[in-house]
Amino acid sequence: MKIQVVENVLKANDAIASANRQRLDAANVLAINLMSAPGSGKTTLLEKTIPAVGNDSRCAVLVGDLQTTRDAERLGQVAVDTVQINTGTGCHLSAAQVAEGLNALDLNRLAILFIENVGNMVCPAAFELGEHVKVVLLSIAEGDDKVAKYPTLFQQADVVLLTKIDLSEILEFNHDRVRDDLSRLNTRAPLIEISSKTGQGMDRWLDWLREQQHQ
Amino acid sequence: MHEMAIAMQLVDQVVAVAEAHRVRSVEEVVVEAGAMRQIVPDALELAFSVVAEGTVAQGAQLRLIEVKSVARCRKCECEFAPELDNYVCPECGQADTRIVAGNDIILKTVTGSEDDGGRSS
Repeated sequence: MKIQVVENVLKANDAIASANRQRLDAANVLAINLMSAPGSGKTTLLEKTIPAVGNDSRCAVLVGDLQTTRDAERLGQVAVDTVQINTGTGCHLSAAQVAEGLNALDLNRLAILFIENVGNMVCPAAFELGEHVKVVLLSIAEGDDKVAKYPTLFQQADVVLLTKIDLSEILEFNHDRVRDDLSRLNTRAPLIEISSKTGQGMDRWLDWLREQQHQ
Repeated sequence: MHEMAIAMQLVDQVVAVAEAHRVRSVEEVVVEAGAMRQIVPDALELAFSVVAEGTVAQGAQLRLIEVKSVARCRKCECEFAPELDNYVCPECGQADTRIVAGNDIILKTVTGSEDDGGRSS
């Protein structure tokens, strides 16, 4: 016998993602999903961003990694609250893991929740978490060919941060190649060149963040 | 390897369908996947076969049909079929799109036999 089903396989994840979104909206918390390859500077960016957004914007972080609490320990120094999610062998955060993370936070105390996804340029792009905006990082060290290699991630981005911009000359990074590739995938997301080390571009990134809070 | 997470959801759904229709042995599962979901067919088939072990779906064939995505331009509302590496609107030249179709993974059909014995239905 052949049974017609027509059921979305990701409906369980999507349903939890929209429940997450409702909880965040009810508490008036802006949730930001940060996605990139490992080592692109997500954690360092947050270490610099959170103290700079101002006292009236209390920030928490949900951080996903396969193993260790290293990122949570680092971010615990700057965030109001930090929850480390260890995914074991999982290559992305799921909405259910974020829901558990939300349970561990007092959302009413927060203005911004950063969700630092597992370092990976493929799988996180397939799973909605309930976030309001998606931030995609690409570091100079990864090379100027990556936008075209991982198009789905960049197509979804609300902003693209080109990080470690201080390494640009040393690594002979071709900025035009990135702009050109992005022009075919996503002309909506601004491209912000930034260095957590020197502070270059930090103002523009913080301005962008504040704009999101007012939307 | 997000295929493993997808396979786990899929097997849960197949098992639920099989139970609801008193299917004892699933032979074929047909899934439609949007191109934007970046599923590697071999990886999903392998993950499915591993997760299905010990369930009514053990040994079932997974047939994956890739469907083209449809993008809608946020600037001019034009709908078009984007390529994985090109989302430029053919009308206005912007790449500011929302995926409005073909972004899902849909379990279409489950085929199986009601009896416990043979694999023919």
